[in-house]
Amino acid sequence: MLLAKTSLDGHWRGVMVVARILRDAGFEVVNVGMATADQIAAAARDEDVQLVGLNVGGRVEVVERVLDRVREMAGDVPVFAGGTVPPWAAKRLAERGVEVFPPGSSNDDIVAAARRLVGAPGE
Amino acid sequence: MDEPQTPSGIPLRPVYGPDDLPADHGLRAAPPGEPPFVRGAYPQMYRGKPWRIFQLSGYGSPEELNQRLHFLLEQGETGFIMKRDRVTNDHLYDPDHPEVDARREDVGQTGSVLLSARDVQVAIEGLPIEHTYAHPGAGVVQAAPWCLGSYWVAAKRRGVDFTKLSGTGQSDFFLTYVGCLTKDQIPPHAGLRLNRDLIEFCTERMPRWVPVSVAGYNGADSGLVAHEELGAVLANAVEYLDVVRDRGLPVDGFARGIGGVSFRTSMALFEDIAKLRAARKMWHDLLSQRYGVTDEKALALRIHVVTAGSAMTYQQPLNNLVRGTLMALAAALGGVQSLGVSGYDEAISIPSDHAHQMSIRIQQILQEECGGLVDVADPLGGSYFVESLTESLETKAWTFFEEIQARGGFIESIDDGWLLQRAADNQMSESMRSGSIVGVDIHTDDVSPWAIDGFAGGSDAWELGMARVAGVRRERHETAAGDALRALEAACKADDNVIPLMLDALDADVTIGEVGAVYREAFGSWKVPVQL
Repeated sequence: MLLAKTSLDGHWRGVMVVARILRDAGFEVVNVGMATADQIAAAARDEDVQLVGLNVGGRVEVVERVLDRVREMAGDVPVFAGGTVPPWAAKRLAERGVEVFPPGSSNDDIVAAARRLVGAPGE
Repeated sequence: MDEPQTPSGIPLRPVYGPDDLPADHGLRAAPPGEPPFVRGAYPQMYRGKPWRIFQLSGYGSPEELNQRLHFLLEQGETGFIMKRDRVTNDHLYDPDHPEVDARREDVGQTGSVLLSARDVQVAIEGLPIEHTYAHPGAGVVQAAPWCLGSYWVAAKRRGVDFTKLSGTGQSDFFLTYVGCLTKDQIPPHAGLRLNRDLIEFCTERMPRWVPVSVAGYNGADSGLVAHEELGAVLANAVEYLDVVRDRGLPVDGFARGIGGVSFRTSMALFEDIAKLRAARKMWHDLLSQRYGVTDEKALALRIHVVTAGSAMTYQQPLNNLVRGTLMALAAALGGVQSLGVSGYDEAISIPSDHAHQMSIRIQQILQEECGGLVDVADPLGGSYFVESLTESLETKAWTFFEEIQARGGFIESIDDGWLLQRAADNQMSESMRSGSIVGVDIHTDDVSPWAIDGFAGGSDAWELGMARVAGVRRERHETAAGDALRALEAACKADDNVIPLMLDALDADVTIGEVGAVYREAFGSWKVPVQL
């Protein structure tokens, strides 16, 4: 799976913890850090990933642009997101099939969602 | 069940008694304002001067920042902070840089978009800058000379003698290389050199300005626990003081200039109260023993506290008003000169005007309504528990300090990612602990009637910034701007003090991205040495 930060806001603690718990759960995680929509979509295509995780520290419009490019370049790979996403923006992303894990989400819930999204059996 | 302990790993016993007081309790009990300053930096503490109400603020266009700052001062803030946009400012990018263009809607979300001295003139319009303590948004190391310089030049253009202004620049290594990494940043050694330039310039010309301010907060809220925060802050100070001493300059005056630092208070109430007390003692011991400083004004550490943003929850956000109050109380009890309370909407968005207002009200209630709090200095002094915790933390913090020194010092431990790795490992173990956060782990509800939607500000900050930069490039004297940039580049490469050249460049209306290009050419870019 691929992990990326959509914004140039450098708070890394959320995405770092998510990267580690997913690796511990057996996922092969490529973390590209702060990346543009084009870079994220190209990485998703080139690495042939089964899942894309986006860390959001900015506006939902930027996430939507990432989503557009991922759909164009990497097809319908599932996408989920976490970060400081206000409730109204989380709703907007949910309408496009992106599940959002806000601050306070449990490690177990995030791992379970990742397994479900790639069609792997739960533990 | 495990024995309860503080986040730093100090075991907590059911009750403390006289035997738990430090062996040198008598020495430590010296009144506030006297060495070793455990009990406070000043004799009268809040009776002499209540702590400064100092909130992190800034978003959107220069006009939006100006409006918010006026609002905060009207509400009772007693200093102001001009937080700048992370996308443009902290990376030193103009808005037409490809990295900015690719995420233009983010511009202005994390701070105000101030792209030339002209923008800062707009941002400070009508503000009482002559007699208000300011932090013009110089958090990130590579941006600090630009941010401070732009404020000083904007003041000068308003007819104010900028050398008489008071305020601070953070220019903080914890923020830049541990807490909030940028995609493009000059290496730590180049950062140390810019901070040296700032310290020298301010010591010579700006008697009321704190040139750099070590911000332990940014290490702590990224994972460093209390004793690590303390030890690392002192190790950072050593880098500054060694530079000064090695240049054969008297340490006393400089030490006073950098003697304003920031710490975090969290929900670990008592450990954080002890931390502030320990910090003053350790500062005193470091300066007097290692550098022979005798000036008591330099030996008395002044402290700004920011309450933990990470303690604020997304779920049931009004609970955060209680958390903010408790963390602010810890700061007040530990002894501070200045305080910012994180917004109750911290986990959701940048602060709304209401969240900002409540952060001010919390502080006003503590200052005006809580009997005795501002009347008596160090009210917990002599508490068996707090005195014992203060001493235990000091011991652990000195061990961590020595560990940093033994591996080559603070800058080395930033440069090779050691401190960042430590913070990340701590974060990981914290996330594994079974939680007891109210509203998140326990006492949750599915449908909270008190949900809030989050503040977003305007969505045109990028477009407006593009138009302003185009205007500046059209109207300025092109030759003067080019000459100033070349002079700045020569100073960067020759190890001359960059600050006077930065002021010239700002006065010639160069833009932030132009300065960034000079830096990237002169200093190169730091590669984050840790796999996150």
